[in-house]
Amino acid sequence: MIALGLLAALLLAIAYREDSGTPSAKPKVIAIFKASGAANAFWNSVSDGVTSGAQDFGLDISIKAPRDEIYVDEQIAIVREAIGKKPAAIVLAACDVHRLVDPVREAKARGIKVVCIDSFIETEDANAKVGTDNFEAGQKCGVALLRILPAGSSIAVMSYVQGSSTAIGRESGLRDALGGKLAIASTSYSSSDEGIAYEQAKALLERDPALAGIATLNLPTTLGAARALEESGRQAKVALVAFDDSPEVMRLIERGVIRDAIVQKPFNMGYITMRTVEELLAGKRPSAYTNTGSVDIDKANMFEPENEKLLFPVGGQ
Amino acid sequence: MKIRRIQDTLVRAFALIVVLTMLLLGAVSLDFLRRTLVDAAEQDTMRLAAQLSRVVDNYISYMNDISLVVTEDQDVLAYMAAPSTGGQLAQSRIAQFLGSIRKARQDIDGIFLVPARAAPGGGGPLIQPGFVIASSPGSGVNPAYDFTRYPDGLTVPLEGEKAPLLSSAHVEDLVEGRYPWVISLVRALKGKDGQSLGYIQVDLNYAVIEDLCKGIQLGSSGYVFILGASGDIVYHPRQQLVYGNLWNERIGELLAMKEGFLASKVDGREILYTAKPSARTGWTIVAVSFVSELLAGSRRAIYTFLLLAIVCFAIAVFVSAFVSARISRPIEALRRSMQEVEKGNFDIDITVECSNEVYQLAGDCDIAVKKVRDLIEQNRKEGEQKRLLELRALQAQINPHFLYNTLDSIVWMIELGENQSAIDVTSALARFFRLGISKGSEIITVRTEIEYLETYLSIQKTRYKDKLDYEISFEPELYGYKLLKLLVQPLVENAIYHGIKNKESPGLVRVYGAREGGDIAIRVIDDGVGMEDSRLEALRASIAGPPGLDAADLSPERPWGGVGVRNVQERIALYFGSGYGLSFDSVPGSGTTATIRIPVVEESEP
Repeated sequence: MIALGLLAALLLAIAYREDSGTPSAKPKVIAIFKASGAANAFWNSVSDGVTSGAQDFGLDISIKAPRDEIYVDEQIAIVREAIGKKPAAIVLAACDVHRLVDPVREAKARGIKVVCIDSFIETEDANAKVGTDNFEAGQKCGVALLRILPAGSSIAVMSYVQGSSTAIGRESGLRDALGGKLAIASTSYSSSDEGIAYEQAKALLERDPALAGIATLNLPTTLGAARALEESGRQAKVALVAFDDSPEVMRLIERGVIRDAIVQKPFNMGYITMRTVEELLAGKRPSAYTNTGSVDIDKANMFEPENEKLLFPVGGQ
Repeated sequence: MKIRRIQDTLVRAFALIVVLTMLLLGAVSLDFLRRTLVDAAEQDTMRLAAQLSRVVDNYISYMNDISLVVTEDQDVLAYMAAPSTGGQLAQSRIAQFLGSIRKARQDIDGIFLVPARAAPGGGGPLIQPGFVIASSPGSGVNPAYDFTRYPDGLTVPLEGEKAPLLSSAHVEDLVEGRYPWVISLVRALKGKDGQSLGYIQVDLNYAVIEDLCKGIQLGSSGYVFILGASGDIVYHPRQQLVYGNLWNERIGELLAMKEGFLASKVDGREILYTAKPSARTGWTIVAVSFVSELLAGSRRAIYTFLLLAIVCFAIAVFVSAFVSARISRPIEALRRSMQEVEKGNFDIDITVECSNEVYQLAGDCDIAVKKVRDLIEQNRKEGEQKRLLELRALQAQINPHFLYNTLDSIVWMIELGENQSAIDVTSALARFFRLGISKGSEIITVRTEIEYLETYLSIQKTRYKDKLDYEISFEPELYGYKLLKLLVQPLVENAIYHGIKNKESPGLVRVYGAREGGDIAIRVIDDGVGMEDSRLEALRASIAGPPGLDAADLSPERPWGGVGVRNVQERIALYFGSGYGLSFDSVPGSGTTATIRIPVVEESEP
């Protein structure tokens, strides 16, 4: 009889507990990107995806980033600080393939799950990886150049950060696709700085009148290079194949400054990452690597329904 | 057997009844509530969807009205008929006209007039971007805009049906530098002779639809989305997820169903689709509600019910404890009283403070205990009386006169030298007393009694010589039966002392024992002086009188009605019941008969 009474009380307690929906019960996840969304459209979309995913999968997310992706030390410090907060999981877009290995190991040693997003580390220490297959994206970039330019043309590769896994992947994919059919005249690194990219492209265009194509491997580099190219007025002669999208990139495509843009799916990347985190925390075994894919966008296909949905955020400019 | 307290049993039963009742009632009423809530929610959702569909229809009608206003304008028609003639002035005047319409309403993102001519020999329409008039928040017409491809999913309506065409949601890139999401309504313009002049396009700000849909609350996670006629998503709050194939709706089934409800399950959560088509647009408004949220009310009901159940449970336990205490406390009190009785204390009053069957039971117990007490008392008194009577019987037996007289006789015999006679009497006297004592036993056999009487009468015979004769005759079958000792001897003594002794001539005392039915009758008959009627009556009254003794009874000197007779009568009554006892008959001058009547008691019986 007493047991019955206790049972009823217990049921009531559970019911009320369920009802109150304690928010503190959500697992804490800290996402550390390479750059903040405020300055970078790509990371802005990733943030949207992460936030949306956190909401759907019941995770308490906070997003951090160094000033820019060249500040590796700053990112390492942020990771260490995050470890100190004992989150359930850390989502990391590594600024450097080598130097972030130790922080990831430290986190894992403390039982924190680590999911690498977009930019990975050289070891397989992370629990899972979610991001664009950059080698494949780089290949698409190469294919686009080959389509536009006759064999033997000379191109310049404008990369961003030398140690970054994404940059390495894209560049090797590009070289793989080109297969020597186009000559790579130079390779430069912009440090993901639009201004530096602009100066580098300007110098490049002035120095090499025979330049037939430029491959820019990320958004700030693209924007800087495109500005320099448009100013030089040689957009008809120099084919700019870019990486990543923003409304400005779309305008540049429409104006013919950028011929092709290899566009990633940052929102999906962020969302799928959170799904992966949730699966890890639930003890499931998500796939070790999820390729979120990339699309080759040009003037002809940018307003096709599938593409415009990817390229233009709904409800905003 | 395990003793279970009434209180426990009752409380258990009450609790079980309450719990079962609550469970049954709860299950039934919750099921009913659940159905009612789902029904209400379905109706509610359908109403919301219908309302939204009407609002969307209104917007589209409004856009259509605007397109009509513009196409019926004479200036516009003139311009469209010959875009090149009016020049810059005509263009800017019309742009102003369009602008004033657009600015009146925030929900219109842009209005575009596109003069077009059918290409000779088929193919795409001929459009000169320079003649396109655009009114939008952005700058001029996008030079990169490809008119042949636009608007999404629509063919440029040159052949012009009356009805306007409506696009799905798409990015508008007609204006340079802006990429707004809009829904476009396109209406063909025709000249007076029916030739195609081009078209007007009105862009509805997508945010309007978004706001409308977001404004609809369906629980905390329910939402509304709009399905285009071909199954494309016009609006969805999780647009990006839907596009990224990370979020799926059952579009095929919804499209096939057109209007109604569809139950589904997503990630283990039950969801309810409510579809309502919009007549003008061909779109379908779909409301998605989560059943668990629809049933939030039922959850509240569950809490209330649980709380109620606990309260009822507590009340049941309390009431049953109270009631059972009221029932069991008197029983407990009664039990304690009976325990006292068990210990031998009969001297208690059994009373309980209640007014039910237990009270009656207690009353009955009280009476029973008092009866037992009285019986015990009676028993004790009877035992005392028996001992007293026996003592007295012994006293009577050793009647001193009898002893003196016998001893006198013995003295005389010795003086006369009748030694043998003296020896006989003395040994008879010794046997008489030995038999009288009879090892302290109260009950003797008839055989022993006969022997005893023989001894007694033989002693009396030596004394009275020829004056006394006696005769003892018992049916032999009686020999083994039981008898109280000292029953017959006092009557024989009385017969001698009161009957024979006072008679001139020799007397005869006869003692007869016979079985009469279930009784034994022993008669002591003398042929002495007998009794006057008055004396006989006095004697009869004496033995019929109430039992009890007074000091005078102890005197052995009282005649016939004396100690011996009373004693015999009372002892018979005590041992065998009031139906047995003594009776006397007497005829003056010819003798007295005393009859003892006792029940047959076999020797074997204890």
